[in-house]
Amino acid sequence: MSHRLLFELGTEEIPASMIVPALEDLRRGMEGALAEPGLGWEEVHTFTTPRRLAVLFTGLPERCPDRGELAWGPPVSVAFDTAGRPTPAAEGFARKLGVGTDSLEQADNERGRYVVVRQVVPGIPVVDLVKEILPGVIASIRWPKTMYWTPSRFRFIRPIRWIVLLWDDEVIPFEFEGVKADRWSRGHRLIGPSRIEISEAAAYEEILRSGGILVSPGERRRIIEAGLQRISGDLQPVPDSELLETVVHLNEWPAVIKGSFSPEFLRIPAEVLVTVMRHHQKYFSLVDQEGRLAPSFVAVINNRQDADGTIREGHEKVLRARLEDAAFFWDADRKIRLSERVERLRDVLFQEKLGSYFDKTGRLVRLSNRLDPDPQLAEAARLCKADLTTEMVRELPELQGVMGGLYAREEGYPEGVWRAVYEHYRPVSLDDELPESRNGALLSVADRMDTIVGCFGAGIVPSGSSDPFGLRRQAQGAVEILRAWRFEYSLRELVESALSGFPWEEEQGVREAVLAFLEQRVSFLLERLGLARDVVRAVCATGIASASPAELEDRARAVARIRGNEDFEALAVAFKRAMNLLARSGESEVAEPDPGRLQEEGEKRFYEVLQEWVPRVRASVERKDYDRALELIAEIRPAVDRFFDDVLVMVDDASVRRNRLALLRRVVDSILMVVDPSQILVQGGGENG
Amino acid sequence: MATFQDLVHQLLGFWKDYGCVIQQPYDVEVGAGTMHPETFFRVLGPRPYQVAYVQPSRRPADGRYAENPNRVYRHHQLQVILKPAPEDVQDVYLDSLRSIGIVLRSADLRFEEDNWESPTLGAWGIGWQVLLNGLEITQFTYFQQAGGRDLDPISAEITYGLERIAAFVTGKDNVFDLLWSPTVTYGTVRRREEREFSRYNFELADTPLLFQLFDLYERESNRCLEAECVLPAYDYCLKCSHTFNLLDSRGAISVTQRVALINRVRSLAVDIASAYVKQS
Repeated sequence: MSHRLLFELGTEEIPASMIVPALEDLRRGMEGALAEPGLGWEEVHTFTTPRRLAVLFTGLPERCPDRGELAWGPPVSVAFDTAGRPTPAAEGFARKLGVGTDSLEQADNERGRYVVVRQVVPGIPVVDLVKEILPGVIASIRWPKTMYWTPSRFRFIRPIRWIVLLWDDEVIPFEFEGVKADRWSRGHRLIGPSRIEISEAAAYEEILRSGGILVSPGERRRIIEAGLQRISGDLQPVPDSELLETVVHLNEWPAVIKGSFSPEFLRIPAEVLVTVMRHHQKYFSLVDQEGRLAPSFVAVINNRQDADGTIREGHEKVLRARLEDAAFFWDADRKIRLSERVERLRDVLFQEKLGSYFDKTGRLVRLSNRLDPDPQLAEAARLCKADLTTEMVRELPELQGVMGGLYAREEGYPEGVWRAVYEHYRPVSLDDELPESRNGALLSVADRMDTIVGCFGAGIVPSGSSDPFGLRRQAQGAVEILRAWRFEYSLRELVESALSGFPWEEEQGVREAVLAFLEQRVSFLLERLGLARDVVRAVCATGIASASPAELEDRARAVARIRGNEDFEALAVAFKRAMNLLARSGESEVAEPDPGRLQEEGEKRFYEVLQEWVPRVRASVERKDYDRALELIAEIRPAVDRFFDDVLVMVDDASVRRNRLALLRRVVDSILMVVDPSQILVQGGGENG
Repeated sequence: MATFQDLVHQLLGFWKDYGCVIQQPYDVEVGAGTMHPETFFRVLGPRPYQVAYVQPSRRPADGRYAENPNRVYRHHQLQVILKPAPEDVQDVYLDSLRSIGIVLRSADLRFEEDNWESPTLGAWGIGWQVLLNGLEITQFTYFQQAGGRDLDPISAEITYGLERIAAFVTGKDNVFDLLWSPTVTYGTVRRREEREFSRYNFELADTPLLFQLFDLYERESNRCLEAECVLPAYDYCLKCSHTFNLLDSRGAISVTQRVALINRVRSLAVDIASAYVKQS
């Protein structure tokens, strides 16, 4: 007999962004807890709306599988006499379990050998298991921010108000935080019944549909997407997957409506209009065939329809008020020039120990000047934070930078200035676009480096989940830009330049900490580009400080291409051996090899080879031809192996030994210009990753 | 529902029938209904309480000289505290909307995450803004802390924005066109006040004097606290808070100063809350 299990956890409205991860926790928790005693099932379905998380299992058996278990009796030494006959202790044990002494077996545990009886423990009914596991499963759902509402101080995202727990068509008796499970779910707040009876687990989705609830987020998404296309007519909705996900999880039954606003507002920059619609009202924007913003919007409502248009009118009115505010800010802000606003940044705190944004502006002008002496870049650096004093940015903080750029353009600054200001917060997230202009890219890097170095100097260092200034994101953006624009600044150069903006004496600790931090970000970047982890490590292990992210990428790609090469793979062994010898010698400074001290034929031959090889490797590296450099590196493998076969390095004569170590040092140093082969995992000649 | 006063009357009637104590606005300047002693003190400690009142709330920075159709310096909040929060509190709230003639069946209503926090009161809670056809009409909060203290039991706070709801219900675009009574508009009742206070808040307020007043109010609040006279201490704490808001709207507070001043008000609120709990 196959059964269905329905669990619906009814809550007050859960924040949209938290629903999907919570449902995933719930599903995984239930699957894990049910699978533990060996239970199997056919299908698992999950459902969710803002007010409920639900899981439906089908094809469950009545009971958990039986388990074999050992009943432990007395030690063998006590259970049997010297002739091997059962003692009264053994007989008593057998009697207690209702078996004959011939059923007694023996087994070991950490204390010795014991008499046991093999028993079959019948599996418990699945409904009993469900009652047992659910409290733990509910409590295991992770939420970013929780509340309590009962005296027990149980913490959850919002109060739990009802629970439906059905085994086919029967309620499983269960209670959690004062809420008793039953078969009564809740309908849509506006268009459904307040209580709705779920007669049978499998009918859940259809019964709730009749109560004005679409429990499948996929179905709600399809309705919204189809509605967006249909209602847009000749216009095109601006694709916005994040907003789409949000509105999917904000409504229990969505419908799509189109509204409009007065074309007069189109005099405000499109960036502002879109931000007001998106962030404040969760509306989709529409553009015409030429990509121009249209004076209309699409809203997703929590109702089946807007029969008499009153919902649309309401939304239009709210948007109008918001746009009036925006228009007011747009006009008011432009009455004060950005260059005047720079002075006001003295009153805007960047960070307590790092001063105001005025101080930061000064550092940015100097830092960007070190990167590129273009006067337009310096001007952009001077103006880039001025928009923090505008009403518009105070109201719509997500427009920082963008507003500064727009105001600068209005004031007639050249594109090399205004666009740099406009773009200098990009990328805002991992998926955001990078600056498209060179000055924008440079200014963004400068701003990020100043923040990172400054925060590290002030003791604000990301650890675990704590990263209040978002330094990881800042650093990630910096290395992404450096790589994409193929800037040639080495990371050390960038850190040094940023450090020079601060008056600290002792800089070594900060410098090294920031470089180590940047190394993690570069590694992450290279892996994100699809490079295998060991390849990334092999490149980063040579030291990232003197390289640019673009160079590290090129080297990693070249390593990925050559890694299947037999000589290259085999080189790791010889390389490690050479490194060990150098380390063991305890001589940190190994001089250049002295040809006059070469004694044996093998080392003389090796010296000759290196005389030619080392300059060729160096020349390839200088040409940035890492493929050629790696080919050369792979080619040196037989010579190194022969050297090790023919010549004993660690001889007693110190001067001879030093000379041989010096030969190895030349090889190792040349290889490390590109890669540390000891980090490469040998794949047995397979394809590289 | 035709007038602003009908709306107030109807909503207070609803909560009176529900069993709330109907209180009067507090007579010290406050920025929000939460600052009324009937909220700040009543949510502390174990005793159940249910109260509703209108609170004129002064936000000096929001003043627009009566020229903006949606923003006013002094708006009206209708505040409800239900302690402990009943299980069906959201349903009761929706019933209160029905009671003022809002037809929910043909509306778009959502509870969207919006957690409330008042740094000056050391108070915060978890909750939503309630959006009706895109318009924020209510802040709905489960208080978790007040005066820096964990609360038990938990109170539900419902704060209606009366001007917005009135504009919605009566279909007016401009708050000053609302009918306060059948023959008198909101503009007639309030326009002069909005103009003069906007002028005072943005142009006239004597900032050195206000800084002095802040210090004096703070001193007096502490003196009352030392004498274990809690409610007067709280009045002066509220005066500090309002003085801070005035200074802020004059743009007289730098960012560093701001944190320090907020902390001074907060520290008063925390001491007052703990003295209140100790005494009761």
